[in-house]
Amino acid sequence: MATNPMHQFEVYKIGPEINLGGVNLSYTNASLFMTISAILILSLLFFGTKKKSLIPSKIQLITELSYTFVAKMISDTAGSSAKSFFPFVFTLFMFVLFSNMVGMLPYSFTTTSHIIVTFMLAVIVFVGVTIIGFIKHGFKYLELFVPKGVPILLLPLIVIIEIISYLSRPVSLSVRLFANMMAGHTMLKVFGGFVISLGLLGGWLPLGFSVALTGLEILVAFLQAYVFAILTCIYLNDALNLHN
Amino acid sequence: MRNLKEISTRLKIAKKKIEKVKEKNKGSNVASLGKALKISTELVAAVVVGTTIGFLLDSWFDTKPLLLICFFFMGAAAGISNVFKSAKQMHKNYKN
Repeated sequence: MATNPMHQFEVYKIGPEINLGGVNLSYTNASLFMTISAILILSLLFFGTKKKSLIPSKIQLITELSYTFVAKMISDTAGSSAKSFFPFVFTLFMFVLFSNMVGMLPYSFTTTSHIIVTFMLAVIVFVGVTIIGFIKHGFKYLELFVPKGVPILLLPLIVIIEIISYLSRPVSLSVRLFANMMAGHTMLKVFGGFVISLGLLGGWLPLGFSVALTGLEILVAFLQAYVFAILTCIYLNDALNLHN
Repeated sequence: MRNLKEISTRLKIAKKKIEKVKEKNKGSNVASLGKALKISTELVAAVVVGTTIGFLLDSWFDTKPLLLICFFFMGAAAGISNVFKSAKQMHKNYKN
């Protein structure tokens, strides 16, 4: 049971079963770890901004660094007009980052290794950006699907291709995060299993691999949060500044 | 006064050094790895979405497997255009 590399992704309910109008709303281990990452983010920001000193303490430094990191990312990719979306992008970035990082701890659960979680996040971004685009530009937003300088004969084909490309955004956004997290954690578990089955004699090589892979996974965990946030910024840029 | 001048020249030298390091690191940082991961999934996702749309329309209009084939190729085209777009974006960012 414990050697099954997919066992770590199992969702089971904690506490009583809650049924609201035919919808299962039970509290599961996935919800528990989402709550944990949310509490961690809140406490980091709370304690980081509690004592505002000129020479920052370590926790204040982390808070300020994450703030400037996201602020710079938004102004670099989406321009100054996207500044008002800072809370949204910051929340997304911190939630994905903390979910990934909490998942790196032994015996924990990686919420972002489930496609439904990442797909929901991506759909929120996708629907939100589309609504923002329509509010900002009205029906002119549909010009996004009509590139400039295309011959009329080719236009129907190009429009369909552009629409497919637009619809592929949430899929690529969610599948990337989910696949990276799941593949990495499965691989870690498989190599961990090799250590046990090869024993004291040959187990050292996979153990070394496990250590190296853990380092790689921490890099990937940060990178995927970064990519998720920067793509949100790029999509926001498309919606705010048409043809730019 | 002499002290202040000394500090300002020191600051200038230090800033130059930082800029040199930044020039060296341009393009070879973690962000490039992120871009590589981004592009590879973008290509695949568009193909998947195109094929799914084709499959759904096929079962709707009962024209199996005509639309599936058409939309598969259109999805591939969309994927390539996705990659082109992000490559353009990267080029623009690199220039700045």
